[in-house]
Amino acid sequence: MKKKNIWMNVNGEWHDLTVTLQDRLIDTLRDQIGLTGTKEGCGEGECGACTINLNGKAVLACLMLSVQADGAQVTTIEGLQNGTDLHPLQTAFLTESAVQCGYCTPGMIMAGHALIKQNPDPDKTTVKTCLANNLCRCTGYEQPVKAVLKAAGEMRRKIK
Amino acid sequence: MSLQYNLENYYKPETMKQAVDLLLKFGKTAKVIAGGTDILPKRQCGAQFDTITHLIDISNLGLNYIKESKGNLCIGASTNINSLVTASAFHSNPYIGLIEAAEAHSTNTIRNQATVGGNLCNASPCADLALPLLALSACVVVAGPKGNHTIQLDTFFKGPNCTALLPGEILLEIIIPNHQETTGASFIKLRHHQTEVDMAVVNVATQLLLDGNNCLRAMIALGSVGPTSFLAKKAAGILSRQTLNKKLIEQAAMLAADESAPIDDNRATAGYRKEMAAVLVKNSLEKSWERSRK
Ligand SMILES: Cc1cc2nc3c(=O)[nH]c(=O)nc-3n(C[C@H](O)[C@H](O)[C@H](O)COP(=O)(O)OP(=O)(O)OC[C@H]3O[C@@H](n4cnc5c(N)ncnc54)[C@H](O)[C@@H]3O)c2cc1C
Ligand code: FES
Ligand code: FES
Repeated sequence: MKKKNIWMNVNGEWHDLTVTLQDRLIDTLRDQIGLTGTKEGCGEGECGACTINLNGKAVLACLMLSVQADGAQVTTIEGLQNGTDLHPLQTAFLTESAVQCGYCTPGMIMAGHALIKQNPDPDKTTVKTCLANNLCRCTGYEQPVKAVLKAAGEMRRKIK
Repeated sequence: MSLQYNLENYYKPETMKQAVDLLLKFGKTAKVIAGGTDILPKRQCGAQFDTITHLIDISNLGLNYIKESKGNLCIGASTNINSLVTASAFHSNPYIGLIEAAEAHSTNTIRNQATVGGNLCNASPCADLALPLLALSACVVVAGPKGNHTIQLDTFFKGPNCTALLPGEILLEIIIPNHQETTGASFIKLRHHQTEVDMAVVNVATQLLLDGNNCLRAMIALGSVGPTSFLAKKAAGILSRQTLNKKLIEQAAMLAADESAPIDDNRATAGYRKEMAAVLVKNSLEKSWERSRK
C-alpha cells in the first residue's frame, strides 16, 4: 500500500509520521499516535463523534485523509487538560451531567472548544448550531448545551 | 481504515498548470479533492469512484477568497461554506438567499471543510448552493488545457454528478454579477428528517426585482426535483413585466412544479416532491416579494 511522510502538530507536539494514502485522520490519531479519545461512530460525517480541532476549527476526523492534514495543528480531547487539571469544558460536562456512556463526549467538547475560541460569549442558539453535528444517544441535548454555556462563562471569568 | 479507494498517489500541486497536467495525465483514474466531504464518505464509494486511484488536492492553488472585481462578487472555488456566512459582502438584500442556503447546508462543522466549488462540481441535484447561485445568474470560470473560459451556471449541470467540465478542467471561481439593492431573494429547504445533517427533499431559491408592484426580473431555481438543479424559466416568465399579485405567484408556483421531473427515492415520492415544489416556490416568491419592498 502506498505510503507518504507527513508531519503534524498534535496537542502541541510535532509528529513525523508515515501514513498510507487511505488513512483518514482518525485512523492516524487513534491507531498510530494512540490517541483513542477521538471516537468513530458513523464514519461518514453524520454523528460528530470524531470531531477534533484542525488549525483552530472544528472538523470531522473521519472525513479527512491524513495526507490532507500534512503540516496542520491538531487538537484532540487529550490536549485539553492541563496536567491533572481538567479543562473547564470537561468539568462542565461532568457537573452538568452531560455525559452518560461518554461516546459522543469528546466530539461534543471539541466542537464546543472551537466555538469558545472563536466566540467567548456565545448565546444558546449559537451553541445549538455549533453542536448540530453531534449526536448523543443517551443524554439528550439540553445538558451538553448547558455545559458549553457554563464552560464559556467559566473561561471568561478566568481571563478577567 | 475504512476508506474504500485504492489510492496510488495523492498530489498537492502548487500551480494550476501542474494540476491540469496531472488531471490530463491520469484521466479517468484521477479526481480533484477540495474539502473531501462528498468524495470521502463511505456511502459515496459506489461504482462511480471505483476507478479513482489518483487524488489531486487543490488546496494550495490560492482559490480560497471572496472579493469584489469590476462590480462583480467573486468566490474562489476552494472557499469553505462558513466563509460565505461570515463575509460582509453577502450581507445585503440580493444575497440573503445565498446566506440562507449556506446556513442550510449540512452543519457548522462540515461547513468548515466543505467548499463552494465542491458543492457545484459534485453536481448533486439537491446541492443547496447551486440554487441561489442560479437565481443570481452566476457564471463559473474554468481553467483547463486550453486556458481559462467562462460557463453560465445555467448550462453547467449536465446530470446527476455530471458537469460541463471537460477532462483536465478545474473550477476556479464563481462570479456573481451586480444586483440592485432592492432585489428580494430567498432560499427554502424541505428536509426529510428535520435535522441539520440532511439533504433536501425539495429546495428552492427565488429572486424578484420590482418597480412598485411591476416585476422587472424574476428567477426561480429548483433542486431535488429533477436530474439537475435548474431554472424554472416558464414559471419565471409569467411573472416578468407583470403586476405582481398573490394569484399570479400561485400560478407561477404551479407552473414551476410542472417544469420539475422528480423521482421516488428513499427520502420522498415523486408525487410528494412535486406538490411540495409548488408550495416552496410560492412561499419563497412571497418572501422575496416582501424583501424586495424593503
Ligand atoms: C454529513 C453530510 C451532510 C451534507 N449535507 C449537505 C447539505 O445539506 N447540502 C448540500 O448541498 N450538500 C451536503 N453535503 C455534501 C457536501 O458536503 C457538499 O456537496 C460540499 O459542498 C462538497 O464540497 P467539498 O469541497 O467537500 O467537495 P469534494 O468532496 O472535495 O468534491 C466534490 C466533487 O467535486 C469535485 N471538485 C471539487 N472542487 C473542484 C474544482 N474546483 N474543480 C473541479 N472539480 C472539483 C471533486 O472532484 C468531486 O467530484 C453533505 C455531506 C455530508 C458528509
Ligand atoms: S465518525 Fe465522523 S462523523 Fe461520525
Ligand atoms: S453520552 Fe452516550 S452517546 Fe452521548
